[in-house]
Amino acid sequence: MKTLYIFIIFIIVAVAQLYIPAQMILDQEQVLETGTAYKFRTQPIDPSDPFRGKYITLNYELDAFATKDSDWKRNDEVFVYLKKDELGFAKIDKLSKHKLESGNDYVIAKVTYYNSYSEILRFNYNFDRFYMNEDKAYDAKVAHREAQRDSSSNTTYAVVYISNGNAVLDNVLINDIPISKFVE
Amino acid sequence: MNSKLIKELPELVTNEVISEDVAINIERYYASKTENSSNRLFMVFGVLGSLLIGLGIILILAHNWDSFTKTTKTIIAFLPLIIGQFIVGFSILNKMSQVWKESSGTFLFFAVGSSIALVSQIYNIPGDLSDYLLTWIVLCLPLVYLLKSNALAILYMVFLTYYATELGYGFNTTDKTPWLYLVGVALVLPYYIQLLRHNANTNITSIFNWILPLSLTIVLGAFVKQNDEFGFLMYIILFGLFYNIGKVPFFDSQKLRRNGFLIFGSLGTIILLLNTSFRWMWEDVFNTPDLFTQEFYIALVLFVITVIVLAYSYSKHWIKGFNLFQYVFILFTILFFIGMSNEIIPTLFVNIIIFALGLVTVKIGTDKFHFGILNYGLLIITALVVCRFFDTNMSYVIRGLLFVGVGFGFFLTNYIMLKKQNPRVIQQGK
Repeated sequence: MKTLYIFIIFIIVAVAQLYIPAQMILDQEQVLETGTAYKFRTQPIDPSDPFRGKYITLNYELDAFATKDSDWKRNDEVFVYLKKDELGFAKIDKLSKHKLESGNDYVIAKVTYYNSYSEILRFNYNFDRFYMNEDKAYDAKVAHREAQRDSSSNTTYAVVYISNGNAVLDNVLINDIPISKFVE
Repeated sequence: MNSKLIKELPELVTNEVISEDVAINIERYYASKTENSSNRLFMVFGVLGSLLIGLGIILILAHNWDSFTKTTKTIIAFLPLIIGQFIVGFSILNKMSQVWKESSGTFLFFAVGSSIALVSQIYNIPGDLSDYLLTWIVLCLPLVYLLKSNALAILYMVFLTYYATELGYGFNTTDKTPWLYLVGVALVLPYYIQLLRHNANTNITSIFNWILPLSLTIVLGAFVKQNDEFGFLMYIILFGLFYNIGKVPFFDSQKLRRNGFLIFGSLGTIILLLNTSFRWMWEDVFNTPDLFTQEFYIALVLFVITVIVLAYSYSKHWIKGFNLFQYVFILFTILFFIGMSNEIIPTLFVNIIIFALGLVTVKIGTDKFHFGILNYGLLIITALVVCRFFDTNMSYVIRGLLFVGVGFGFFLTNYIMLKKQNPRVIQQGK
């Protein structure tokens, strides 16, 4: 009888162990299906994680916006409302401390600091990790640097799907070629 | 040894020294004992094997096989997890031996980690290493209790410590405090207490006697954010707490090497005191700490807990005689607050305290006839002298004399104790 109880509790634990990764997948899949794709200009650098493998950290160019509101603390949440330019690149429409009623897409970023002299707020997005094959992560950084040297405009960008404030980083492209193909 | 005894059994039975039943019982007892020790060996290899395979899987998946499709990767993410769960479920249902439970549990532990890691990798799910580690250990904590697994309990503690250091010490994390670490430790305490109750003298319990203070010592610094001065005070009080726990008869009556609390408490106290025996520490570091910060309150809570342990030991009459080590944290706390306005008094008193602790340790060593403790006491005094060697405002002659004095001390005390011990050895030999 006692074994049965232990087994039942174990089943619950096992379901939780399956549920968490499954839920992670479903959340992401939902955003990828229903969300809108935005392009974010970016610069990659390559650190690594002991369990999840090598990744490139993406420094987005869209990480600051002018605002008169100076009441920001580090790590405050900021709702960044987005719009697209004619090429599909993301542009900031407006910032807010709360969720707005308007129907625009938004992401939640974290404040790094507010420059009260130039009245510019700087922030970080949480979709800044792109996991890559361990042989390609370093090459990706180099490839980006070279691509940037070749042409005057920065051609590296991330494709991010956004739905209801959730963002899923789908791919990183250099000159419209996926970065993992580009470095091959 | 055992086989010799077992060989003698028939002779003992024929000569009617023992009855046949007793002989059979003795035989059975030794048979079960050898079975136990071979079981333990199996357990160690089983757990080690699972641990290596689990870690290997995580590393192989971390390579990021980008030629696989998303679906293939997802299946691979769940495969080890389901296999692990199946084996653990099987072990529980069929009441398999503890070897099975420990090994399969260890494998499942890493399978959970690898599946979350791979899903994060496939979808570029944001989140720091600390978030990932926290999800992982929370999902595996119930297994510790369900399987009554020591290996899992140790893995849990190791990864919990890893989580706390990753969150609290990381670059750019000055505003993050690993409060959840405390919850994590509280959640594994019932397991530890149950080990102490039922298996006080086993190796696994002594491993825990070491892991717990080690983990707390590593992590406490992650709670120090802006107020480094209070960090010193927090650590001294923590080591005071360890020492006082180590002096509880339950731990104190065990072998010294099993008593991680006592050793951590003693060494930690001495090392920190030696650090603060320099005058410049009090002049430059401890001058104006901010009161009523996070660090202040943590130090206060630690102080109250330690005083409660001390008072409880008193009420139970566990404390016989005066042992300065148990009260150092109170003296240092007083000196710390004096140090805010004056640097000479605390410097002087810290030096006196270290010297007194050295003498106390030497005395304990001679009382117990323990050469290790005796020489530890002498080492404390030597360390104090070496520290003063660096204070250049002392005359060379005085420093030289101090060294010669302590050197003689080493010879004399060891010699006297050897002399005292020799007659005892000879008496025992007779």
